[in-house]
Amino acid sequence: MQRVTNQTMAANAQRNLQASLQQMARLQEQGSSQKRILTPSDDPRGTADVIAIRSQQRAADQYERNIGNGEGWLTTVDTALGNATDILQSTLQRTVQGANDGALSQEAKNALATEIDGLRDALLKEANSTYLGRSVFAGSSNEGKAFAADYAWTGTDGASVERKVADGVTVRVDANGKDAFGEGATSVFALLGGIAADLRAGTPVSGRIDQVQGALDGVIAAHATVGAQHTQLQRAESVLATATVDLEAQRSKAEDIDLAKVILDLNVQSTVYQAALNVTARVLQPSLMDFLR
Amino acid sequence: MSTFSGLNTAYTGLTAARRGLDVVGQNIVNANVDGYTRQRVTLSSVPAVGNRFSTGAASGEGVNVDGIARLGNIMLDNQVRSTASAYGFANVRATSFAKLESSLREPGDEGLSARFDAFAGAWQDVANQPGEAAPAAVLINEAKALAGQIATGYNEAVGEWSRVRGDLDGLVAEVNSAAASVAELNAQIRKGTAQGVSVNELVDQRDRLAAGLAELTGASVRSGEDGMIDLVVDGNALVAGAKSSGLVAVGAPSMTGAASAGVHLEWAALPGTIVSTSGEAGGLVSLLASAADGGPIAKAAEQYNALAAKLASSVNELHAAGSTTGGATGLDFFAFTAGAPAATGLTVVPTSAAGIATGVAANGAADGSVAAGIAGLFGQPGSVSKDWSDYVTTFAASSKAATTTAKGAETAASNALGAQAAGASVDMDEENVNLLMYQQAYQASARVLSAVDEALDTLINRTGLVGR
Repeated sequence: MQRVTNQTMAANAQRNLQASLQQMARLQEQGSSQKRILTPSDDPRGTADVIAIRSQQRAADQYERNIGNGEGWLTTVDTALGNATDILQSTLQRTVQGANDGALSQEAKNALATEIDGLRDALLKEANSTYLGRSVFAGSSNEGKAFAADYAWTGTDGASVERKVADGVTVRVDANGKDAFGEGATSVFALLGGIAADLRAGTPVSGRIDQVQGALDGVIAAHATVGAQHTQLQRAESVLATATVDLEAQRSKAEDIDLAKVILDLNVQSTVYQAALNVTARVLQPSLMDFLR
Repeated sequence: MSTFSGLNTAYTGLTAARRGLDVVGQNIVNANVDGYTRQRVTLSSVPAVGNRFSTGAASGEGVNVDGIARLGNIMLDNQVRSTASAYGFANVRATSFAKLESSLREPGDEGLSARFDAFAGAWQDVANQPGEAAPAAVLINEAKALAGQIATGYNEAVGEWSRVRGDLDGLVAEVNSAAASVAELNAQIRKGTAQGVSVNELVDQRDRLAAGLAELTGASVRSGEDGMIDLVVDGNALVAGAKSSGLVAVGAPSMTGAASAGVHLEWAALPGTIVSTSGEAGGLVSLLASAADGGPIAKAAEQYNALAAKLASSVNELHAAGSTTGGATGLDFFAFTAGAPAATGLTVVPTSAAGIATGVAANGAADGSVAAGIAGLFGQPGSVSKDWSDYVTTFAASSKAATTTAKGAETAASNALGAQAAGASVDMDEENVNLLMYQQAYQASARVLSAVDEALDTLINRTGLVGR
């Protein structure tokens, strides 16, 4: 039997109160910080998870920025190709009109030629569309224009502009200008120039109708490809939105406290502490001296 | 048996009761003195002395005060010392681990992992807009923040090493002065014992110092002659009777020299012999070990150096292969200051977009493939950021183990102290009972005295008066 003295009782009481208070301080810290893992040693494995999840969250934020940037590129390309389609359709109409050799005076043909020149300039302007200073049809070239005055394409084959939208997934956000519009003497701009010249010279242009139709088909095909890229980007965006919510849920599960549980524990602990104080106060009080005269 | 021996018997009773009261008083007033061990008067009855003039049965001659016993228990004292030694060792380690752990700043937005992610993100923004000033400026700032954070982590490890080194010096001074005090008390105890004076209070003081030395160095106690004790550390005497030896802390004063000149303790009188201790000194020495010997602080610093070196080499390898929008190739992104540790010497080379290699020249000046490649270096298995998160996990596990050990040792130490206090501490109720007991004994002895007195009075003053 261990002997009990006032000192051992006081020391035990003090130790128990200290332990109780420490436990309460820890619960309060958890409750106020809302974090289950305050230092890595609270849960080493959980810490590794939290670091990985937080890293994925920051990567997801970056993907979101990349997608926003890619969206800008693709919208610019989309608009430019839409406008190009309209322009080429107008050109087709003018060319068909100009092919009516017998019915048209030379003046009328000249007027059509001027109109087609204007359409060519408008088309060139669309082909030289830029987003944030970059030509969207010139790939990773940093030339100011995708097509020079001689219709030479300034881009490089295979050097496309890509945006990373998820781990290991990239989406192309530009269009190959050469595929859409051709280049140099075989470009659609040279074709339009040729039609205008033929009209002015009185050369029949009926043979050009198929060429214009061919160029229009080329632009429409490029537009369809861009549409597919756009869909891919949008799908990546919606996947990312879901992933962001999932990641936050995962992080919260790994790192955050169960508030209801902590508050309950805190209440229980506070009751325990008060009880301990109460008992200590009662136990330490009396000694034989209280009863001796 | 003399006629007056009854008076003397009563007198010895009075003396014994008074001494008992004195000792109770001493116990009560010292009840809260740290290390005080309760005392008891030891009494023995004095047997009858026969002489040739008296025959027949005779009563004893009273009570004798043999001495004042100190109610300590050597076994419990030993247990207190050995658990204190284990606790001292575990506690300094746990404290240091906790400090290093808080300098990791993980998990959270201030940790290195967040800096790695921000750095990778900045590279992607540069990949999206090669050659643009704004993302390049962000990247350069993020790179500097990353290098700065690695340097901060390293410096915190170095600072912790210096703190522990300073603690060791302070501890050695404390040990030496405590050992000298123990030797001095030993001398006083020897003298007191020889003179027959009670040395209980001196023994209390000395045992308290011995317990402190056990916590500091793991010194074990060997009983010596004349009530003295020897304190033994690593097989040699720190205190031998009235003589004490000194310890010195030898080795590099800062972490950079720790690998070549390891820190250890030596006897001041025997330079060159390593003293291996347990207790706090052992804990501190183990913390100061070089990384090769498993010192956690040096290892932490080495980890920061390794991170800096790997970061620079992996980024530079891709960066040098790429070209800037201006066409320059073979550029480094990170460089090291010569002569400084990798972690603190890491610097960022480019100052503007013109110095950042973003792509492959063949793909056009605005190619961002190299920048995207560098961004992809992070977060993959085997990458520098993964190294960091692995290190955090490993360190956290060791830190947790250190804390658990310290908690266990603390429980053992406090249990041993509790057991010691249970035997040695003063119980007020018990002392009050003793107080009553000795008080009653005093009153009763006084009554005996007056009874004998009255009997003698009858004999001396009232006999031979018949018929008067």
